[in-house]
Amino acid sequence: MAVKDFLSDHEYDGIREYDNPTPGWWHAIFIATIAFSFFYFVYWEMNPRASTPQSRWAAAQTAEYKRIFSSVGDLQNDEATILKMMGNEQMLNVAQGFYQSTCIQCHGKDGGGINGVNLTDDNYKNVKKLDDIFNVITNGANAGVMPSWKNQFNQNERVILAAYVASLRGTKPAAPKAPEGDPIPPWPAPMK
Amino acid sequence: MATDGSAASLSPHQETGPIERFVYDDAVVRKFLFASIVFGVVAFLVGVIAAIQLALPPALNWEIGGVKPLAWLEFLTTTSFLNFGRIRPLHTNAAIFAFAGNALFAAIYYSTQRLCKARMWSDKLSNLHFWGWQLIVVCAAVSLPLGLTQGKEYAELEWPVDLMIAVVWVAFFGVNFFMTLAKRRERHMYVALWFYIATIVTVAMLHVFNNLSLPLALVQMFKTGQTPAAADWLKSWSVYSGVQDAFMQWWYGHNAVAFFLTTPFLGLMYYFLPKAAEKPVYSYRLSIIHFWSLVFIYIWAGPHHLHYTALPQWASTLGMLFSVMLWMPSWGGMINGLLTLRGAWNKVAADPILKFYVVGITFYGMSTFEGPMLSVKSVNSLSHYTDWTIAHVHAGALGWNGLLTFGMAYWLAPRLFQAPIWSKKLVAAHFWLATIGIALYILGIYTGGITQGLMWRAFDETGRLQYPDFVETVMTLMPFYWIRVIGGTLFLVGGILCLLNLVMTWAARPAKYEETVHEAPALGPVFIDPPPQPTEITASTEWAKDVDQKYIKGWFHRVWERKPAKFTIWVLIAIFSASLFEIVPTFLIKSNVPTIASVQPYTPLELAGRDIYISEGCYNCHSQMIRPIWAETRRYGEYSKPGEFVYDHPFQWGSRRIGPDLAREGGRQSHDWQMRHLENPRQLIPDSIMPAYPHLLKDALNFESIQGRVDAMAMLGVPYGDLVQKGKAIEAAKAQAKELADTLVTQQGYADMGDKKAIALLAYLQRLGTDISKPPPAEPAKPATASAGGLK
Repeated sequence: MAVKDFLSDHEYDGIREYDNPTPGWWHAIFIATIAFSFFYFVYWEMNPRASTPQSRWAAAQTAEYKRIFSSVGDLQNDEATILKMMGNEQMLNVAQGFYQSTCIQCHGKDGGGINGVNLTDDNYKNVKKLDDIFNVITNGANAGVMPSWKNQFNQNERVILAAYVASLRGTKPAAPKAPEGDPIPPWPAPMK
Repeated sequence: MATDGSAASLSPHQETGPIERFVYDDAVVRKFLFASIVFGVVAFLVGVIAAIQLALPPALNWEIGGVKPLAWLEFLTTTSFLNFGRIRPLHTNAAIFAFAGNALFAAIYYSTQRLCKARMWSDKLSNLHFWGWQLIVVCAAVSLPLGLTQGKEYAELEWPVDLMIAVVWVAFFGVNFFMTLAKRRERHMYVALWFYIATIVTVAMLHVFNNLSLPLALVQMFKTGQTPAAADWLKSWSVYSGVQDAFMQWWYGHNAVAFFLTTPFLGLMYYFLPKAAEKPVYSYRLSIIHFWSLVFIYIWAGPHHLHYTALPQWASTLGMLFSVMLWMPSWGGMINGLLTLRGAWNKVAADPILKFYVVGITFYGMSTFEGPMLSVKSVNSLSHYTDWTIAHVHAGALGWNGLLTFGMAYWLAPRLFQAPIWSKKLVAAHFWLATIGIALYILGIYTGGITQGLMWRAFDETGRLQYPDFVETVMTLMPFYWIRVIGGTLFLVGGILCLLNLVMTWAARPAKYEETVHEAPALGPVFIDPPPQPTEITASTEWAKDVDQKYIKGWFHRVWERKPAKFTIWVLIAIFSASLFEIVPTFLIKSNVPTIASVQPYTPLELAGRDIYISEGCYNCHSQMIRPIWAETRRYGEYSKPGEFVYDHPFQWGSRRIGPDLAREGGRQSHDWQMRHLENPRQLIPDSIMPAYPHLLKDALNFESIQGRVDAMAMLGVPYGDLVQKGKAIEAAKAQAKELADTLVTQQGYADMGDKKAIALLAYLQRLGTDISKPPPAEPAKPATASAGGLK
């Protein structure tokens, strides 16, 4: 083995240098990282069967839709379906997630309304019956004050979101906005 | 323990040139050192202000006995030139270019003269370098708060300042340094000089290629036929767009860390550490192998800033792998630093200067392990866009650059000012303040960053996001943000103590500095190579012996060390070849960026709004890049595609989500909501920490400059069709502004917004990410029209 602490004849402004061998573990890890990199690159970049972030995302999407909606199947926007969803705790919970990520900026966390309408009172501007809520979510309303969400949420998601919004009616928000629009008859009873 | 080479073995070769007498220029070192510490204090102060700004909005309403003790600070969230988006670039630029920059210049000017046994080649260039650099710093300090920015992180400074940087760096600093090498009286170049060479040539290359941009004023004069307004002289756009711009930016950004904050500081360490410890450097061989592997491998690592983005995957993979391979080359520097202190630990215990070095080098080791770890894609998918990255860079900047600079400052002060250090107690106090400050800072933000990253991706058992409300995840950070404020303040106080100590030491200087005259022979024309060291390989062939003697023992390198030109060319080959391996395919492979027919250029008004977005520094808090990760698309919408950014000069993907991603912001909110939110976000989102922008609703939009903006984009290849005809773009912008302002009124929003800056920003925000869901245009390359964006 090489001599330990061999002091070379180098000298710069009083600084001298040993010529110690580089530590063995240093070489070992360096070579290991190079070897790892070689195999990693070959596997992930030169192997047509390797997954990609996009393919893994698509698989996750399929799995997640299945997890959420497999118990209810494809949903239609009709009164019966919405009433059924209003009685489905799991669907309401999922829809609340959508509501909180997209709707609370205007309608408030508890639906009391900020610059969007109060969703908890009995007055509605663009809704006459239960299945109108879905249409407002889908197409927007009031010259774009309420945006359209059809690009962000698929049909099933909009149906359960409509059910969640309908379920806010009659709750007691902390700071309710004054009613807008006309009073409409109460919803039929939710189906369990 | 050691087979000590005896003193007799030193300098077997005697130079034959005539004996020359010379004096070192320490005046310029004194100036750089003071500039570094003064600007350091400024950078830390601005950092503390930025840290407070992020924690402040909810704290404005804190009440103690009926009074709101922090309410008076509200101006920090409402004043245009003090907003976080402007202050954060000021902080980063001051820390990197003013504090660390001046520190590395002080180190290079002090050590190069001594390692070369030569005064700097030209005092005039030394002074031009010093004053030129300070002028650049002042320009940055004025222009960044005014919102004059290229919108690329750490490359914010506008083109006139960029030109100044190029001249000062290459013509003043570079020429002076290399001429000093040429005139040296020491035959071989010490390892510190290798690192300085790599620094100078690589930073020049990075700076020039990342900052290639097209200035608005030149377009107006030569194409639009318009006299540029004063503000238009300081506006330009990156010649690259979208994916390519992102690649170039992080090739630059990561290598700014490598060649501005790492290599010169390794050089600094190699000079000042053995000096302060009075011990030989641990291993010459290790310095060779870690120098070359560092220089070659570092260049590739940039794309690890863009994992899971629209950057092609092969580039991202290379970025990750070269970062992993970089671990040991980086640690080579740490090993050589720490093992140099073998047998000197009793000195470390007694000497606060060595303490600064030991802790600084330890932070270097931590950051250069953490860097490769964060580059691993699966780790990065959690850490990216969170404060984890911020903690990482502060471990490096405060721990490595900061502590090494302070250690150097305290070692230099008595030598430069020729008076004992004013207070050794304050040096020790500074060490503890700085170390505890960094620890609080990074531990707080590590915790906050990882917590927020986990909250963003958490799903409950029904398959919904557990924390769908973004602001909720921000509120979780508040305690950690206050811990950061405390840690940063401790570090700032330490910096002030350092400045005080330097000033008081300087005040005790002699009436006239004593200038030692040194003596050394000039290099003779002939150098006879000493024979290679004897090999220990006995039982093998001549060939193996030869390899061992010439290569393994570093004899070949000894030859390079006395040929600066050859050495520099090898460095250039290393950095250019490594760069080209990534750059050429990024620009040439068409399939990297599949085009999307429905993606059209921004309308003239949206373009003007985009420049406001850049100028306000929105990219400092908002990303525009949704990664193909389920939790992310659930929160923000469809993931971003490479083809969506082809008209983005510069790209605005961002690197940190202090606020939510905006890649699909278009159409998510009403015009009215956006305007109220800009005026004061807390009208709509009580817990928001975003600054308020009331001035955007008052300041007039300069429609006249829009034609030049469109012309510039057209010159960069954006298909604007007949909108480049004189006045057409302005007409289109006015028409769209009127349409938006009218819609705003029907939404019962603000009136008379049609000529305000906010209307342009609104147009841009409402366009973001919407093209992908539109039908492709009937005829190809249809020019953008005034009604293309926004809500119908």
